Amino acid sequence: MTIDLIDWLVMIGTMLSIVLYGVWKTRNISSVKGYLLGERDLPWWTIGLSIMATQASAITFLSTPGQAFESGMGFAQFYFGMPIAMVLLSIFFLPIYYKLNVYTAYEYLEGRFNLKTRTITAGLFLLSRGMSAGITIYAPSIILSTLLNWNLFLTNVLIGGVVIIYTVMGGTKAVSVTQKQQMIVILAGMVIAAVIIVFKLPSDVSFSDAVGVAGKMGKLNVVDFTFDLSNRYTFWSGILGGVFLFLSYFGTDQSQVQRYLSGKSLSESRLGLLFNGLIKVPMQFLVLFVGILVFVFFQFVKPPLHFNTANVDQVSQSEYYTDFQDLEKQHEEVFVQKEVEIRNLIQAINSDDETAISSSRAKVESLVEQDKSLQSKADDLILKANPAAETKDQDYVFISFVVNYLPIGLVGLLLAVIFSAAMSSTASELNALATTTVIDIYKRSAVPDQTDHHYLLASKWFTVIWGVLALIFAETASLFENLIQAVNIVGSLFYGVILGIFMVAFFMKWVRGNAVFIAAILGEAVVVGGFIMDKMEILNIGFLWFNLIGCIVVMIFAGIIQIFMNDENKGNQVSPS
Amino acid sequence: MDQENDQDLLDEKPPILGSWNQLYLMVLFIHSIILFLFWVFTHSYS
Repeated sequence: MTIDLIDWLVMIGTMLSIVLYGVWKTRNISSVKGYLLGERDLPWWTIGLSIMATQASAITFLSTPGQAFESGMGFAQFYFGMPIAMVLLSIFFLPIYYKLNVYTAYEYLEGRFNLKTRTITAGLFLLSRGMSAGITIYAPSIILSTLLNWNLFLTNVLIGGVVIIYTVMGGTKAVSVTQKQQMIVILAGMVIAAVIIVFKLPSDVSFSDAVGVAGKMGKLNVVDFTFDLSNRYTFWSGILGGVFLFLSYFGTDQSQVQRYLSGKSLSESRLGLLFNGLIKVPMQFLVLFVGILVFVFFQFVKPPLHFNTANVDQVSQSEYYTDFQDLEKQHEEVFVQKEVEIRNLIQAINSDDETAISSSRAKVESLVEQDKSLQSKADDLILKANPAAETKDQDYVFISFVVNYLPIGLVGLLLAVIFSAAMSSTASELNALATTTVIDIYKRSAVPDQTDHHYLLASKWFTVIWGVLALIFAETASLFENLIQAVNIVGSLFYGVILGIFMVAFFMKWVRGNAVFIAAILGEAVVVGGFIMDKMEILNIGFLWFNLIGCIVVMIFAGIIQIFMNDENKGNQVSPS
Repeated sequence: MDQENDQDLLDEKPPILGSWNQLYLMVLFIHSIILFLFWVFTHSYS
């Protein structure tokens, strides 16, 4: 699959102009404070867009529409706790960070507890974020290179290399000002894509018909009130687990903390966070809704049996190709029948005939099941042709639609959206990794008492080092598929415990450093134990709940251990007398 | 002096509604409306 010259020009032109603008805007930065905190002069809308761009990686725009295509809109619930978390952060976290005038979230932990707790927490961040920076580059690269026949090595270098250049040159301010432009491109691109898909529907199918069909096929289930710990996305997991996850991510992950610490004032930072809280949920709804529109589009235009063309190419070169072709023929027959039934369903909905709706819906559901069975058989053939193949193809749905059905020019814009998202989140990660390394480890413990210029250079060099490490990880990630899964899991298992440490720091003033340190180790053991039991199917817990469990366990353990330590101290004081 | 600066920092008013608590309530109120609309959307089309 190739893309048109105009699309190349749109894509490269959009990306290049954003990067050059960022470099030009930050050309005069010459101090550590300017480099790591951006002279603290950013307004709230830049902070808000920068926070959103940091969180929205490329995989958000590749995978989320595919998720809606497969499973409906329930994933929106994942973000339901975010506005509550933004309010809590504005009340409790931000004033403390501003009062202490910190560069990193972890600096605060030394004053509150001890150096040991600061260093360990910073180390946990560096470990999990350092590895995930490579995946932020690799995940979109593997999809784009597979589908567009691009060289994986060069795609990684294109994303990672450009990010390293402008992050090293302009520091945190370059990250923020480019993110503002990137986020504008991302939002505009998704809105335009949604409008174009509606125009791409058959002339006799209105927007209202499209939404009606998606609803009757069970795709518009945004809210699910059932309380089920094993169900990953419900209203309750989003509101309860989500609040703790986002408190931890936005309050203690330096890649986010650094975004709002570069605000002009406490007020601007608070407004930036609140803006993010209000916009994020509707934005995620929009991205999912684009996936729903793609789903409806493929009810009238035959979709491929399997969206990952690399897998299909492998089968076509194997002895299983005839079997695969048979499945494709059956898939086409099912599609033709399904299209007829869907038009019947639209008629029934428009005439408000409940009996006809139920009848058509049952027939459509039966045909959907038949098609799923064919897809499952196709997956089996793909695995026979290549036992190492990844058969899950939902990440390829949206990008397949983009390159095959969107008009010339818009393909380039949507590719720019994906690249912008990859670069914006990677830039924040590299910037935060360098800041934490310099402020919490290098300057604090390894090489103290040097000049401002020395630490400025060190910050730039550590940005380069983390960038190169992320690139090396991205280049070798395809060799270690299991490692990628492990990295994602490890990251999510740390968040609750790190939040617990900060919650104790903020709200349990009587607890000291040693107690929280032991509690953190015990809390992590409980979370990892719970995760292992979940994997062994002894327990069944959705991963969002681990954020809540980790946080609560650390707080309880820290309180109990401190009480015992107080008693012990009292005992020690009494016994000599 | 530092305490005065800290107090100045915390006394900053939001650009609208007069106090931060009111602004937080407005954010949570708008979020509740969005969630209610999602619930209506789910029920209308399921």
